[in-house]
Amino acid sequence: MKQLYYKIKKCLGCKSCEIVCAVAHSASGDLFKALKEEVLSLPRKKVSFAKGNNYPLSCRHCQEPKCVDACMAAALKYDTEKKLVVHDKTRCVGCWMCIMSCPYGAIWPDAKVKIPLRCDKCQDKEEPSCLKACPTGAVAWEEV
Amino acid sequence: MSKIEKKSIDLAVLETLKKAQDDNVKTCWDRLEAQGPQCGFGQLGVCCTVCSMGPCRIDPFGEGAQTGVCGADADTITARNLARKIAVGASAHSDHGRDVALTLALLAQKHAHADKSAHSHGYEILDPEKLKKLASEFGIDITKSQEEIVKELSKKLLEEFGKQEGELNFTKRAPEKRRQIWKKLNIIPRGIDREVVELLHTTTMGVDNDYKNIINNGMRCALSDGWGGSMIATDVQDVILGSPQPIRGKVNLGVLKENYVNIVVHGHEPILSEMTVKAASDSELLKLAKSLGAQGINLAGICCTANEVLMRHGIPVAGNFLQQELAIVTGAVELMMVDVQCIMPALKEVASCYHTKLVTTSSKARFPGVTHVEFEVHDAYETAKKIIKIGVENFANRKKDRVNIPKHEMDLVAGFTKEVIFNMLGGRYRASYRPLNEAIIAGKIRGLAGVVGCNNPKVQHDYFHTALVKELIKNDVLVLQTGCAAIACAKQGLLIPEAAKTYAGKGLQEICEAVGIPPVLHLGSCVDNSRILTAASRIIEEGGLGEDLSDIPAAGCAPEWMSEKAITIGFYFVASGVYTIFGGGPFSVLGSQNVTDYLTKGLESVVGGRFEFCDDPLKMAELMIAHIDKKRAALKLKTTC
Amino acid sequence: MKQYLIIGNSAAGISAVEAIRKDDKSSKVTVVSDEEGQAYCRCLISYYLAGDVRADKIFYRPESFYRENNVQLFSNKRVTGIDVKKNLVTCADNSQLNYDSLLISTGASAIVPDVKGINQKGVFVFRTINDAKGIESSLPGVKTACVLGGGLVGLKAAYALRKRKLDVKIIVKSKQILSQMLDNVAAGLVQKRLESYGIEVIIGQDAAEIIGDGKVKAVKLTDNKEIQCSLVVAGRGVSPNIDLAKAAGIKVNKGIIADSALRTSAANIFCAGDVSETYDLALGDFAVNALWTMAVEQGKASGMNMSGGKVDYPGSIGMNATEFFSLPIVSLGINKIKEGAQGYEQSQTLDAKNSIYKKIILKGNFLVGAVLIGNIKNSGVLLRLIRERINVSLFKDELLDENFGFARIIDSVKERERIYV
Repeated sequence: MKQLYYKIKKCLGCKSCEIVCAVAHSASGDLFKALKEEVLSLPRKKVSFAKGNNYPLSCRHCQEPKCVDACMAAALKYDTEKKLVVHDKTRCVGCWMCIMSCPYGAIWPDAKVKIPLRCDKCQDKEEPSCLKACPTGAVAWEEV
Repeated sequence: MSKIEKKSIDLAVLETLKKAQDDNVKTCWDRLEAQGPQCGFGQLGVCCTVCSMGPCRIDPFGEGAQTGVCGADADTITARNLARKIAVGASAHSDHGRDVALTLALLAQKHAHADKSAHSHGYEILDPEKLKKLASEFGIDITKSQEEIVKELSKKLLEEFGKQEGELNFTKRAPEKRRQIWKKLNIIPRGIDREVVELLHTTTMGVDNDYKNIINNGMRCALSDGWGGSMIATDVQDVILGSPQPIRGKVNLGVLKENYVNIVVHGHEPILSEMTVKAASDSELLKLAKSLGAQGINLAGICCTANEVLMRHGIPVAGNFLQQELAIVTGAVELMMVDVQCIMPALKEVASCYHTKLVTTSSKARFPGVTHVEFEVHDAYETAKKIIKIGVENFANRKKDRVNIPKHEMDLVAGFTKEVIFNMLGGRYRASYRPLNEAIIAGKIRGLAGVVGCNNPKVQHDYFHTALVKELIKNDVLVLQTGCAAIACAKQGLLIPEAAKTYAGKGLQEICEAVGIPPVLHLGSCVDNSRILTAASRIIEEGGLGEDLSDIPAAGCAPEWMSEKAITIGFYFVASGVYTIFGGGPFSVLGSQNVTDYLTKGLESVVGGRFEFCDDPLKMAELMIAHIDKKRAALKLKTTC
Repeated sequence: MKQYLIIGNSAAGISAVEAIRKDDKSSKVTVVSDEEGQAYCRCLISYYLAGDVRADKIFYRPESFYRENNVQLFSNKRVTGIDVKKNLVTCADNSQLNYDSLLISTGASAIVPDVKGINQKGVFVFRTINDAKGIESSLPGVKTACVLGGGLVGLKAAYALRKRKLDVKIIVKSKQILSQMLDNVAAGLVQKRLESYGIEVIIGQDAAEIIGDGKVKAVKLTDNKEIQCSLVVAGRGVSPNIDLAKAAGIKVNKGIIADSALRTSAANIFCAGDVSETYDLALGDFAVNALWTMAVEQGKASGMNMSGGKVDYPGSIGMNATEFFSLPIVSLGINKIKEGAQGYEQSQTLDAKNSIYKKIILKGNFLVGAVLIGNIKNSGVLLRLIRERINVSLFKDELLDENFGFARIIDSVKERERIYV
């Protein structure tokens, strides 16, 4: 099973991965159109910085996911086969327990839609969209 | 590179791209793929690198920062970024115009000093009629000697660049109503250089934060190009090099000749390439070529330099912007001589994969490690000869097994200037715009469309141009073209009179057949977009189609644009009242709803023209025709069939 | 074959079942519950009442859960006694069930306030799905509702009723709403938000009497003012269901005292969830932290220990996350420094205009509490600092920064996960 890793020495903080992520999860899949969609697609990953380095961050899909324990609506499930925390939007009530419990701060609230945003490793695509978005190759997609 | 067949509609391009792949040569399409996905902040125009408190970016999704460190918001940032591009585009055309004016000044010098050395440049006044017309526009007494006129005119023209106050002289060509709109907005350009400098000033840290004001000032700068620098370039080139007349030519990579020394001129300024045309038939060089086994010297062009030598001498066009690398990939080009603008830095690398010698000629545009032969106007002919000689000598290095010239070439007719349009339509003895106006009024010609601009590998090469133009002429819209857009349609056979029968609607077909013109008229290079402005002014002058440029049933479009120059052209068209569509990607302003709305909606009530961004050529045609019909209705003209 | 018996069919009980079944597929697992049917998400009852969640989405696990995990479920069955010597429980229907290992996850019950007239039609507590359904079926004709109590349950009931277009008045005895969760600044922001959505919040008053003729007509406040209403929801908090354990001689305080393995004072009896009193990581003392998340974690840990594992449960923490009318709230650990408490310090930022508030409480170089209103991003990272007792001296003055997140603490966390290469 592959996981996203980040080469911090290569990350320039351009946030292209954020934009591509938002576009990849939009209805149209097109930047210009995505900005006009009724429900604005937001990035599932963020680049933050500390001590001169940039740190892209996305859901780690922990094997003992705190967010799944915290989910009071049973909207989160750990899929042991896919090694993926799966989110069932239809059950989610936007209580933000998962955000409160994520030890990485890798889940963000979509305040408008009341849905937590997290990396789904682009399940509907061959590989995560951010991988190719990175102009310096700082995003790595490797076996765990 | 993936899916070569989707890269272009031009079979010559596809064949050559396959060759490039086999030869392991990378082209812009490969490099575009390597760039992907491109930066969304850049695409949306919300990245600001103006000062060193930044770079700052506005989060287009509204979550993160909404202002830069200085407090500039998306409106200010996108407008400033756009204004800078307008300034750069204007500077390119205007600097070109300056060089042409300086050449005219040199001719004055020649007449003043008449010394022997000055003669070696080889230039003459080839259109003395136009010289006089131009001089009288500048209030010069044309009863004086030609020498005097040239001297005074070149002085006046050069003053246009450095003027601080007043109005650029050529803006007087515009209809009075248009001038009033500009005056009211305070956007009549004062001096060509001043507008560029002032616009740049307003975009530096902490100056103009009012996006509407920034864009209005941008329009003034753009007008200083269209009604200033570009117009000077066009008109003075006509004076020195001769006004083009309709001329037959050939286009596409097939014009390169297997057994000839192939010299390709590429860039924008015709002053040197004009001499290259002369030098290509130099007996000494021909002899040398033959001694090396070549049958002769074959000159061909790329981009606007090509358009210039095509419409004055019928020199064949090897291709448009995206074919510059491919010309070299044929393996049959001995030398590519470049001047300024649209010259891909990649040419050096591509040329190094073949025997082609790349030669730069302008001190403004040099490549490290590439042969440079500085173009000196006073010694133009000798410079041209020197360059061609390098090419001829290089014929010996051609590797026959690496040569593959695609067989595709097409005929075209070029050289329709604003003067020629009315000469043709009015007939030799009735030189007036009346017949054109009447054809529009009668609805035989539904309206006019300027389809201009570049190529862009982001869209299928030439497809937007040709699909749009075919749709327009099918609907009786007479299409005026310049630059790479003209070359694109020429390659698809739209620039021959016969195209009227195949593609044009009934009304347009009738006119074309009666006059013997193609339904798509080639007006020249991209500085020659100024010809469209003058022609439109003449249409208004002629009467019956309104009082302002914005009244004419006309629309503009740059379907495959890429260059900053295209942005500036777009702005001087819009500021002149023209509804103008940009395809192949919008301006980098979509990060600001306000700026986008101002460009695509608000401007119409301000200057009568506005922008539209559209990425479907058929939709573009629909929009342009709808606009033309709207203008026809406003003029109470009958609807066309 | 070992017999596991679990009293309680909610978060802790279900998590314990899952933990047991992870290691032990063959033993007998029995769950007894006094509620009806399969386990449901208790916290969703307010969303159900509000109409945000459909009835079929309220179940915590699919119907097939018990079958697939080979669990015998006795619902509607109340346990009345535990015989710790005989390893036997007795139920209200006089049936008996034996066990080798027992989990008490009996949860908590809503406190019915001792107010005159409380036992009338139209008065409800708000703890179970049946409470919610009862309220729902009483809604037709109701225009005004009074909610007694400004705690989370009361507010959630108020939110739900407001969404059902009722006039809602919250009667709060203390000086602020959410006094268990927030300080007065944060509470003020939340109150403002509730009020801007048409909920009336009456501070410093209590219900003196519920007036009616067997059916609620009004609530009389301590200042003698009467509020006409035909629905009263009492949200006065919960008390752990410890009677069973207490009667069996198991050591209790406010809740059942749990050791670090979640074992009670009886060797083969464990406890988890709202009934348990565990070591509180922020307080440094034992406390009942009745929270879904805690129940799941405790159920999991106790289940593992029941089936022979040796899992150390580091402790619980008082925390909560929720949202009212688009105003998100997170409270972690200690939310206000008690008067006279030594060694604590706090700092905060407030943007009242945008209802954004962030406060942290430190004890020395350790974070012990935080309150976040309006912007709850990275609250999980703050929680981590509390839970894992991470020394914050390297970034103490950055904790309130908008961009404070995992990247800042990366060098201080004990377990270094592979993220950055």
